[in-house]
Amino acid sequence: MAAVNINQLHLDDLPWIIEYDETKCIQCGKCTAVCSFGAIKPVVETRRRLSGGLQKPSFEKLLVIKQQISFEHACRGCGMCSRVCPNGAIKAVRNENDRYSVRYRAEKADSLKKGGRSNLNTEGRTLDKIKIGRISQMTDPSLDAARHKFELRTPFGRILSADKLNFCVKDGKVESTVQLPPNRWIYPILMGDMSIGAVSWRMWEAMAIATAYLNEVMGMPVRMCTGEGGIPVKLLKSRFVKYMILQIASGHFGWNRIVQAMPEMTEDPAGILIKIGQGAKPGDGGLLMASKVARYVQEIRGVPRADLLSPPTHQGLYSIEESVQKMFLSMNAAFNFRVPVAIKVAASVTSVSVYNNLLRDPYNIVGGFFIDGLAAGTGAAHEISLNHTGHPITSKLRDCYLAAVHQGRQGEIPLFAGGGLGQTGSFAADAFKLICLGANGVFTGRLLLEIAGCVGNDTGKCNSCNTGLCPAGIATQDVCLTKRLDIDKVAQNIVNYFIATDIELKKLMGPVGNSTIPIGRSDALITVDKHVSNRLDIQYVC
Amino acid sequence: MKKYSIQTLNENKRMSTQELLQLITAKVEEGYTDFEINACGQHNIGGSVWAKDRAQSLHFLLRNPGQRVGAMALKGTDIFVEGSAPADVGWLNSGAEIIVDGDCGDTAAHCAAGGKIYVSGRVGTRSGALMKHDPKFESPEFWVLKNTGSFSFEFMGGGIAVVCGYDCDEFSSVLGNRSCVGMVGGVIYVRGKIQDIAECVKIVNLDENDINFLNSGLKEFLNKINKLDLYTSLSNFLDWKKIIPCTKNDNTKKMSVSEFKEKVWVKDGIFSDFVRDDFKVFPIPSPGEGRFHIPSWNAENCINCKICINNCPQSAIEENDKIYKSNPEKCIGCGICSAVCSKKCWTISDNRQEIA
Repeated sequence: MAAVNINQLHLDDLPWIIEYDETKCIQCGKCTAVCSFGAIKPVVETRRRLSGGLQKPSFEKLLVIKQQISFEHACRGCGMCSRVCPNGAIKAVRNENDRYSVRYRAEKADSLKKGGRSNLNTEGRTLDKIKIGRISQMTDPSLDAARHKFELRTPFGRILSADKLNFCVKDGKVESTVQLPPNRWIYPILMGDMSIGAVSWRMWEAMAIATAYLNEVMGMPVRMCTGEGGIPVKLLKSRFVKYMILQIASGHFGWNRIVQAMPEMTEDPAGILIKIGQGAKPGDGGLLMASKVARYVQEIRGVPRADLLSPPTHQGLYSIEESVQKMFLSMNAAFNFRVPVAIKVAASVTSVSVYNNLLRDPYNIVGGFFIDGLAAGTGAAHEISLNHTGHPITSKLRDCYLAAVHQGRQGEIPLFAGGGLGQTGSFAADAFKLICLGANGVFTGRLLLEIAGCVGNDTGKCNSCNTGLCPAGIATQDVCLTKRLDIDKVAQNIVNYFIATDIELKKLMGPVGNSTIPIGRSDALITVDKHVSNRLDIQYVC
Repeated sequence: MKKYSIQTLNENKRMSTQELLQLITAKVEEGYTDFEINACGQHNIGGSVWAKDRAQSLHFLLRNPGQRVGAMALKGTDIFVEGSAPADVGWLNSGAEIIVDGDCGDTAAHCAAGGKIYVSGRVGTRSGALMKHDPKFESPEFWVLKNTGSFSFEFMGGGIAVVCGYDCDEFSSVLGNRSCVGMVGGVIYVRGKIQDIAECVKIVNLDENDINFLNSGLKEFLNKINKLDLYTSLSNFLDWKKIIPCTKNDNTKKMSVSEFKEKVWVKDGIFSDFVRDDFKVFPIPSPGEGRFHIPSWNAENCINCKICINNCPQSAIEENDKIYKSNPEKCIGCGICSAVCSKKCWTISDNRQEIA
């Protein structure tokens, strides 16, 4: 028997332990074949059997499945082994004595990284404490969700207040003397911001196909935000680019190709989103681990294979005012002021100041304010950022909306909220509640991964998006893993989910009596939590 | 037949609905069966009343009635309204014949489950909503000479409605907008333009039975409203359509996403200029390219014991003249060959391919 050293990594240190029942195992090898983390291996074990009397003990050799004990091959609990086991002989079980994060830092002198979402979730979700409580019951006719034509569209782009339109009558026609900022009426749920590289090319294309299908077959003007990893030229040059909101983040990845393609583009994109920060790791830049920087990702981003860290801030921007003057102006100029330009920041104690500043934009070039809450997901982040930084979305969205209301300027710069929506299984309800609290719309990314078949969850299952070994073929660039993903099926499932959500949104709009999206209709909301009531200024009930 | 006339307005004093309905009931009990009523907006006239002798029928001639003419009326009652009637004509009609020689307000024939309602003009919004047919009774019929308002025939569950579309040139739809939402049963015959109808119904051509029904019904209807002269212009049955609920099978089939990708989306995919992907999906686990681990054999220490061949769960290992090979078409990369070989002839490496 080999001796052990106490400092050696032990099975008991790992976050997940493989529970294996050799009496059920038929040694088919499927579990070891599919484990992308190499966390289990077939091994031959020697067993000693005692015999009676004076006979010598006998030894037998058995083929068994054994968990590997190393940082590199630690089990992530993804559960692929139990999915393929014909006999239910194997499963990953959470280790309550887990010391992995301590051991990792002690051994590697490096911060712990992971993908997915924060696994702390100690606060409970505010949105789950809110109900839609103002139901039309004879006070006014309720709308039948099936009968009525609901207008599920929201403006994306700067809205000018009436006094700024300077209407005049010219030759018997009403005209505005100012040039109106570009505006698009879009579906209030955006798909978004997952970059090529962070997700596999199949996952990304599936989202793009779903977006185009929802527009062209279902008549739902859903827009997809590209993320900061560039855009394939074939898409830029196709008509489908009009459904895409091009993202520019601090890394400016992929913009060379966008600029190169501009003269040949036949359609304008739906918009541009300047990403300042993201809710999952606010104050930290994008992170794409080298394992995912495949050749085509290198090409599209114009970088070699290396860990790609985007700076936490845009290098050329030093203040809010300058952002408006420089970044908004440049991005508006990119498509000759025809395309709305919005900005995305991580929710923060300071979000209202930013929003107030933007509201003063004298050039009418700020077309939207996206706020990303702390429950958002990410392809890769330092765990310290993921678990300990950020701001919940609900109160911050509300603060921004009310700040605008107090100036009588709500709706002038549309608000979009995201970060952890649908976490407890009710995406449409989350979207609806945020809209009632003042959002013009919401955006979601991680949910799309779940729709696609992500095997992870918010309590530490898998969360290996950063490793490039995604067992579902979603957050990887590896061929044999990516090809596990059925692009048609994923696109269809995303489409289906949007159709279902559309039905569910109408099921909430009907009872509150709105046939258009109820932006800011906080009178429709109630809560049994006094603190939530006070903070969000919605009715307390018991 | 004893006839009774009622003036509901005397010296500026209006009889209430309660007084009128109780008076009618009292007179029916006295044996009156024929009523001529100059109403003043009183509700529910003609309904919830019947002769003691159920074989005897009740006749009402009404002018200026209020809402719900003939509400909950039974077979054996017939009601003729001279001029128009407001909302809910024939509400819950359970067998009466109601003729309105004029227009009807909203929700005419609402929840009608029996009898016949004939209207010589237009009917308002949500008319025919929730009509039903209990097979133990005759099917309700609802005939409209002109058109209906929007949202008509919502949640219709049975019965027959006929909208003749006469004098409707100015309208873009003889059923208004968004009619038939939630309709699950019954039939609506329509002559004229239809637009913006609910997705749960389909518009089909008439068959012979439909034409026979319409032909005889139309004559009877026009006769009741004294407009037989319109028969010729309304009886070109090529102008007519029938609206019935969709069944599960004929839910309008939209293009699938796969089809969309094939026919509409960017050819070969948006990454096709720098990523070669055939879009095939690897089963998990799968052999060949889909293997995450790949075994390779080294002859050096091999003692030709064949333990690898015997233990390979996929029977993927072949031996030829003491040369061992794992067949990639069968091997799923489980690593058992390497585990069982005591001489370490098999090594397993990761198959970290990148897309070309």
